Amino acid sequence: MVKMSRRLVLVTAMMLAISLVIGGGIVTGQSRKPFEGVKIVAFGDAGHNLKPFEWYKDKIKEESGIIIDQVVGVPFTSVYEKLKTEFVAQTGAYDLVIFYPAYLGEFAGLGYLMPLDDYAKKYDPKLDDVSTGVRELNIRYGGKLYALPYDGDVLNLYYRKDLFSNEVEKANFKKQFGRELKAPDTWDEFLDIAKFFTRKKGEKLAGETLKEDFYGSAELAARGFSYAWWLARFGSLGGVYFDEDMKPLINSDKGVKALELFKASLKYSPPDVMAYGYEELKNAYLEGKVAMVVQWSDIQKKAQDPRISKIVNRSGIAAIPGTKAGDKIVRSAPMPVGRVLAVPKTAKHPEAAYWVARYLSVETSLHDVSSSETGLDPYRKSHFTSPKAFAGLLGSEEAAKEYLETVGVNLENAYPEINIPGAGNYQDVLDLYINRALSGEMTPKAALDAAAKEWEQITKKLGAAKQKEIYLKAVETWKSLGIWK
Amino acid sequence: MNPGGIAPARARDLSLWTDKKLPVLFIAPVVGILLALAIGPLLFIFITSFTSWELVSMAPPQFAWFGNYANILADGRFWNAMKNTLILLVGGVGLQLVLGLATALLLNREFRLKKLVTSLFLIPITIAPVVVGFQWRVIYHESFGPLNYIIRALHLGNGFAWLADTRTALFSILAAEVWQWTPFVTVVLLAGLQSISPRVYEAANVDGATPWQVFRRVTLPLLKPTVIIVALFRVMDVFKIFDLVFLLTGGGPGSASESVSLYTYINGFRYFSMGYATALAVIQLVIVTVICMRLVKMMRVGRA
Amino acid sequence: MKEREIRSSKSWQAALVYFTIGVLLLFNLFPVYWMFVGSVKQRGEFYTSPPVFVPKQLEWHNFSRALERGGAKGIKDSLVVAGSSAALAIVLGSLAAYSIARYRTGGDNLSFWILSIRMAPPIAGIIPIFILMRYAGLLDTYPALVLAYCLFNLPFAVWLIKGFFEDIPADIEGAALVDGFNRLQVFWRIALPLAVPALIVTGLFCFIFSWNEFLFALVLTRSRVTTLPVIISGMVGGHEIMWGEISALSVLTSLPVVILALLLQRYLVRGLTLGAMRG
Repeated sequence: MVKMSRRLVLVTAMMLAISLVIGGGIVTGQSRKPFEGVKIVAFGDAGHNLKPFEWYKDKIKEESGIIIDQVVGVPFTSVYEKLKTEFVAQTGAYDLVIFYPAYLGEFAGLGYLMPLDDYAKKYDPKLDDVSTGVRELNIRYGGKLYALPYDGDVLNLYYRKDLFSNEVEKANFKKQFGRELKAPDTWDEFLDIAKFFTRKKGEKLAGETLKEDFYGSAELAARGFSYAWWLARFGSLGGVYFDEDMKPLINSDKGVKALELFKASLKYSPPDVMAYGYEELKNAYLEGKVAMVVQWSDIQKKAQDPRISKIVNRSGIAAIPGTKAGDKIVRSAPMPVGRVLAVPKTAKHPEAAYWVARYLSVETSLHDVSSSETGLDPYRKSHFTSPKAFAGLLGSEEAAKEYLETVGVNLENAYPEINIPGAGNYQDVLDLYINRALSGEMTPKAALDAAAKEWEQITKKLGAAKQKEIYLKAVETWKSLGIWK
Repeated sequence: MNPGGIAPARARDLSLWTDKKLPVLFIAPVVGILLALAIGPLLFIFITSFTSWELVSMAPPQFAWFGNYANILADGRFWNAMKNTLILLVGGVGLQLVLGLATALLLNREFRLKKLVTSLFLIPITIAPVVVGFQWRVIYHESFGPLNYIIRALHLGNGFAWLADTRTALFSILAAEVWQWTPFVTVVLLAGLQSISPRVYEAANVDGATPWQVFRRVTLPLLKPTVIIVALFRVMDVFKIFDLVFLLTGGGPGSASESVSLYTYINGFRYFSMGYATALAVIQLVIVTVICMRLVKMMRVGRA
Repeated sequence: MKEREIRSSKSWQAALVYFTIGVLLLFNLFPVYWMFVGSVKQRGEFYTSPPVFVPKQLEWHNFSRALERGGAKGIKDSLVVAGSSAALAIVLGSLAAYSIARYRTGGDNLSFWILSIRMAPPIAGIIPIFILMRYAGLLDTYPALVLAYCLFNLPFAVWLIKGFFEDIPADIEGAALVDGFNRLQVFWRIALPLAVPALIVTGLFCFIFSWNEFLFALVLTRSRVTTLPVIISGMVGGHEIMWGEISALSVLTSLPVVILALLLQRYLVRGLTLGAMRG
């Protein structure tokens, strides 16, 4: 009886050993897939910028074994609140998160994110290839790498090439304003041109009778990111967020002037402009309802997609207007949104998540930023030196070159996001009061005064000394990049 | 097969005890859960409302006495939200009562397909507020929405940017709210109308009263308790309005359509100022309690 | 002569009634119609003026795409959450309701305390419940929502079922007690079977409330649990708004509750007024 059972044990042990060897062989045979069967959950703002996850799901699985189990989409303007709620609660719901780098200071500073330096040594994210501004502003905090770039947002000026080159319009404009009709260099010129092109139904535009009202410009005036359209003016006037003692300067004369300039352009915008977020602003331009818009870089791609655009081959892109300072023109192109990929500290599979982040940031990025299916914008040097990738969509290699060069110019004139802790809070309050001024609830001065007062409170509640230290450090970085005076 | 006769006796004791305590045992789970989910949180928000607790910085809460309450009283945005909520309350509930009563009187008559029509009337109540919000967003769209199209087609004007205009945003929320909840007022008042005995009317008719007189002197007084109950229900619900505002305007443009609930949510889950948000919550709790006490009183009277 | 006048004025009146009812129905049902039409429109048909009132072709793909993009999981999660919270509410609610209806346990004060919880503003509950669930490690799980929904489903169930028990004459139960049944047996064998329709009605109401709830779901869920209202709100705020898909999901969200509500029509007034009106 006892002997029998010993033999049984022996046989079992041998079988186990054999199966282990075979199993090991299978495992080593598949060792090229480091994450076989690992499931990850991704998080981002809903819509076209999550499409790459669908496109490469199978490829990612094939190459790494990672299964993209779920992609959670939240409203565009709720990314901060949804992520922050999760970070406060630490449930580990997401492995890979997409957010806007303005929040990086807060998220990384409070230890919500996993530093990626070690993974970066293992799987090269090709950071040397990333445009300097994006590299220095969007992905690092306190000397560590916390995110990989996914989207290189900056604001550009778009204008209707066909209208601006129309002989009749050009002649009329010259008669009225005494100068040539061309893409505006200053915000004053912007208003002139917007006024010039605003026409009623039945009037003529470029020789054709209008069936609907036509507008000179449109702005992003809905709650969420309208502050950036104000920053574009504020920055060009030389405005800065705080002085060296953390006293808010948003309600300075420059701030008020910027808000007045912003509000003035609403006169030449469609009547529902206060509801224009990304979507509505884009549609107004693509539907051919307006002559000019200031928008993110992806609009040029969208304008070339005949399924959604009525202005194919008729959209021009230019440097964002600025303000004359002596004989120079100071331009400032804000960089709102600008998505990055990061890994929360609570992620269940951080390395797999990083693998996917790197895949999207390195391997597929050129395709994704040059596709009209996404809203993603170029952020790598290799994107800017690959006009061929954009040529098919933008009509010609020349058009692609012009597009990439202009986006590059605007990136050089970038105006940094306030990426210190509490950024989400500062921005939301600023946006609220700008919105209240635009809607006529408050005067520009009163609105900005109120915003400044709330900014002081935010600074106070987050610890004034600490905030000041972090802000001054950020300013140093901005200065070293040449985007701050 | 029964080893020892003590156990059954014990079991009987137990069952006797259970039987005697049955009413308490039956109610215990509900009271327990509600204590945990309501009284615990109530104490929590009450205490937290006296602290300054900023989750943005992860700093521990600090005692702030009445600081949050003082700040709220001086907070223009709070009063603005309060004003908006009151407009929704008075305008919304008022309109619902008038329209609801008119519809109920109409449906109280005999006509063909009455059952079907009444059923169809009920549909809006059941639809999720999120869905209602989305649908009305589509309807209100400035250039592609059917509402402005109809206004333009009938030459009533150029329409509005309903949700984007300071003048119309709050009104647009109100209209969607009225659309969804008037049927509720209608069916409740209809039930009230149907419970009025026909003999009362017969008596009035014998006296030769005109329909208007009958309505003023008979129907309305008899319907009054129902009207008050339904009004209080709506007042309480509208005071808590969140979903529709969140979906339709998010409180904008500016803060033109922000409700108190939404403002509290923003403080709690966008600014993460837990002390301030809970103080706001306490204030709303007090207001709702006052309305609720009135309603409960009505319900008690109704039962008696 | 006079009679004919009366009759003609009567038919004129009837015509007016029908006309008014027609107009009211149009106002009532148009947004519902718009939702159905939207769910079968093609993408381009959302960007036209005049808007498309009757689509040329029915685009059923909106439904399949909506299901793929989280809709299927949303339906499953909504079903689980609404179903279990309704079940919990009628099980626990019927016990408490019976206790209050037959034995006046806790007196009027307890029962009105339970009622007042139902009326408290959800925004006051969500902050502490969020923190409670965080420390309990329950965020983003089914129990979090099911428990949170108890906050309004339990008081509702207690009150509604209590009313139904009060409608059942107590004499039968008294007779059974005299016959030697104990209280538990009386409840289980006599009172409960009589209350089954009431329990079903109550359960369906709780199901509808939980199915439609937004605020708690918004704050308490992430990725493992995603109910339909949260998915819809996420899609509405996203870029390149998928009008057709959202409309399709709206139809899928609304259809079951509309049908349930029509089944419940007889009890609707009673349910929505927490039994204050007997309808």
